[in-house]
Amino acid sequence: MVMKSAVEDDDSGWGLGIPEKMKSNANWVDITHEFKGACKELNLGELLHDKLFGLFEAMSAIEMMDPKMDAGMIGNQVNRKVLNFEQAIKEGAIKVKDLSLPELIGIIDTCFCCLITWLEGHSLAQTVFTCLYVHNPDLIEEPALKAFALGILKVCDIAREKVNKAAVFEEEDFQAMTYGFKMANNVTDLRVTGMLKDVEDELQRKVKSTRSRQGEQRNPEVELEHQQCLALFNRIKFTRLLLTALITFTKKETSSVCEAQKLVAQAADLLSPIHSSIQHGIQSQNDTTKGDHPIMMGFEPLVNQRLLPPTFPRYAKIIKREDMVAYFSKLIERIKALCDVTNTTNLHGILDFFCEFSEQSPCVLSRSLLQTTFLIDNKKVFGTHLMQDMIKDALRYFVSPPVLSYKCCLFNNHQAKDYIDSFVSHCSRPFCSLIQIHGHNRARQRDKLGHILEEFATLQDEAEKVDAALHSLLMKLEPQRQHLTCLGTWILYHNLRIMIQYLLSGFELELYSMHEYYYIYWYLSEFLYAWLMSTLSRADSSQIAEERILEEQLKGRSAQFFFTKKQNKNVSLIKFRPLSKEITMSQAYQNMCAGMYKTMVALDMDGKVRKPQFELDSEQVRYEHRFAPFNSVVTPPPVHYIQFKEMSDLKKYNPPPGSADLYLAASKHFQQAKLILENVPSPDPEVNRILKVAKPNIVVMKLLAGGHKKETKVLPEFDFSAHKYFPVVKII
Amino acid sequence: MATMIEENGPSTHVCFPLLSSPSQARQKLEGLLNKNMRIRMTDGRTLVGLFLCTDRDCNVILGSAQEFLKSTDTFSQGEPRVLGLAMIPGHHVVSIEVEAESLEDDQGFEGNH
Repeated sequence: MVMKSAVEDDDSGWGLGIPEKMKSNANWVDITHEFKGACKELNLGELLHDKLFGLFEAMSAIEMMDPKMDAGMIGNQVNRKVLNFEQAIKEGAIKVKDLSLPELIGIIDTCFCCLITWLEGHSLAQTVFTCLYVHNPDLIEEPALKAFALGILKVCDIAREKVNKAAVFEEEDFQAMTYGFKMANNVTDLRVTGMLKDVEDELQRKVKSTRSRQGEQRNPEVELEHQQCLALFNRIKFTRLLLTALITFTKKETSSVCEAQKLVAQAADLLSPIHSSIQHGIQSQNDTTKGDHPIMMGFEPLVNQRLLPPTFPRYAKIIKREDMVAYFSKLIERIKALCDVTNTTNLHGILDFFCEFSEQSPCVLSRSLLQTTFLIDNKKVFGTHLMQDMIKDALRYFVSPPVLSYKCCLFNNHQAKDYIDSFVSHCSRPFCSLIQIHGHNRARQRDKLGHILEEFATLQDEAEKVDAALHSLLMKLEPQRQHLTCLGTWILYHNLRIMIQYLLSGFELELYSMHEYYYIYWYLSEFLYAWLMSTLSRADSSQIAEERILEEQLKGRSAQFFFTKKQNKNVSLIKFRPLSKEITMSQAYQNMCAGMYKTMVALDMDGKVRKPQFELDSEQVRYEHRFAPFNSVVTPPPVHYIQFKEMSDLKKYNPPPGSADLYLAASKHFQQAKLILENVPSPDPEVNRILKVAKPNIVVMKLLAGGHKKETKVLPEFDFSAHKYFPVVKII
Repeated sequence: MATMIEENGPSTHVCFPLLSSPSQARQKLEGLLNKNMRIRMTDGRTLVGLFLCTDRDCNVILGSAQEFLKSTDTFSQGEPRVLGLAMIPGHHVVSIEVEAESLEDDQGFEGNH
């Protein structure tokens, strides 16, 4: 039965691939028959295994011949030879010189599509490096293609460096592996942009020479050549501008961001002509019906198949050429938008900028560029401001603490200085991480926000201690002033913002079930927004107190200006309060949440909320899971389930409200929110979005209060299309 | 770990040992555990790795497996691809070979014949 396979002639073939150490004792004995026979003797479901190997280990095995797991399988089923660049040149399957204009245009467009697919989270090996030309640009003789290949490699390299540095990506966003490919490192950035420029100039000459002249009989061939030259020229120029913009981002000066913004704006102007000339490029000889990749000269989708790790997304679908321009224009829009961050100087403003930017779910490259623009290598904000100074400014803007006021004796007190400086330097890292968190994708942000609460809880503790120490110092020096809960208020404000964002993002990410809405909205309206508003008004009054003291001091110093001062005082009383907008918005949000809470309770009373059959868990388990990250926070203290049940118990009212009363109350809350928002001067899009929810809900709640469709068993629908966090309630 | 496996394969204990051959077959297979094995698959690829686990349908799990392409493929033939833990479904197994030297070390398969 036993056969020594070493004598079989095909064995020499096997040997080729087997490493030396295996070859040395390559006496393989065929046991197929016995093995299969022995297996049959095993019982159904029985596993024969080593003591140290169990089902648990077996689970992590990849399954061969399963197209979802076996990356090696695809390459093996294609009936064509997979050639690498050198082999393809040798076999004449690929041109390295005298490429026609349509060929160049087609290759460049396909490369752009690969680049975009890579930026969308696929691996380089399955996207950009399916283009054989970029494997070794030195072998290309055609100058335009060579310059382009180097350009695209540089773009990839800089993008990769930026994304790596910003570290706001996860495996689902970005693949940083280069699989050992050279990213044109032997050529300088300047040399590549120079080469692209040379090609551009050459093409421009051709474009000019083929341009139609007045009174000349137009030759259609010349006209076509003119179009094609122009198409190629635009593509090369676009590549150069994109590359130059990315290079500009790596410079340290703040002014370079404006320069980059100008460059991408120029690139954006080329997109429309690029879009209209896509048809000039050669198309792939489509064989996609069999699930195979499209085949194009210069591209081999399977060339890197064996470089991929065993468990890997097997198939990278390269985006269509028609979608390429739309993607680029959105990317450029995002890059232009992120450059505006440098116009914001206040830390709170920057934080808001990051929040707003993230709300459009931007791509990983623009997110990373924003991060690296914010904090340059030297750890300074925009390369010029110290993070500590930014934090001090934010504190002054928010609570005007005496210790940071030039007019206060603490400002020049050494001990006070030590206290505040050490506090501010401890704040620096958590705030940098908070900003970094906003660079992550939306789903990851939520998770990370839950974790950063721990760091802020530590800061809160320190802030309270520093406040107390500064207060006792101040009492000795200037008894008429106070330094209570200044720093604490500021940290608490950020704590609350993080907590609110954490809860609200659950709606955006569709994590909550309908039967959970009521306690989430309750927690927001009754607790977090209530705390936020009292925190904001405390900060506001602390600002007012500080302004009064400054005024008193000025008044005492210059009596002759008494009259004008008096006028100024009146002005300052009606003067715009910096925090007023935020207080107003919080009131509106609180009313929206309260309205939603009461709606949910009333709907539940009418049996219109589907509840799960709690078997292994209970509402308490779910509740505790939803608010688990808040357990690390001391102020505000977490509300436990039992407390929540007591606080929200309707029986404490006499008589207890019925569903109609609650609908009416909800309607009033929505009405109140509408009133508040309609009085906001210069409303932003967010105000309008909330109004779009509040208005229909007022009507629906009134209808429900009047008993409309009370008998219907159809569950209500919650439409989050108008606002991410608040749904329009629909009764069908 | 061992207990967990037993829970998953209770039939081992329930079954009545009719013949001596089942246990003999089991012994044979156990003798092969942790041996270097070379399995050719239906699509022509070959995997080399340590034999870790099998079942009645001849599904085999190899540890530290390496993938070799068929000898006719001229491209990228030199280097094997590292797969790690890999399961080959029984119906894709074409041939199974075991390294002779390790076989002789502890009178493996032939001894049982």
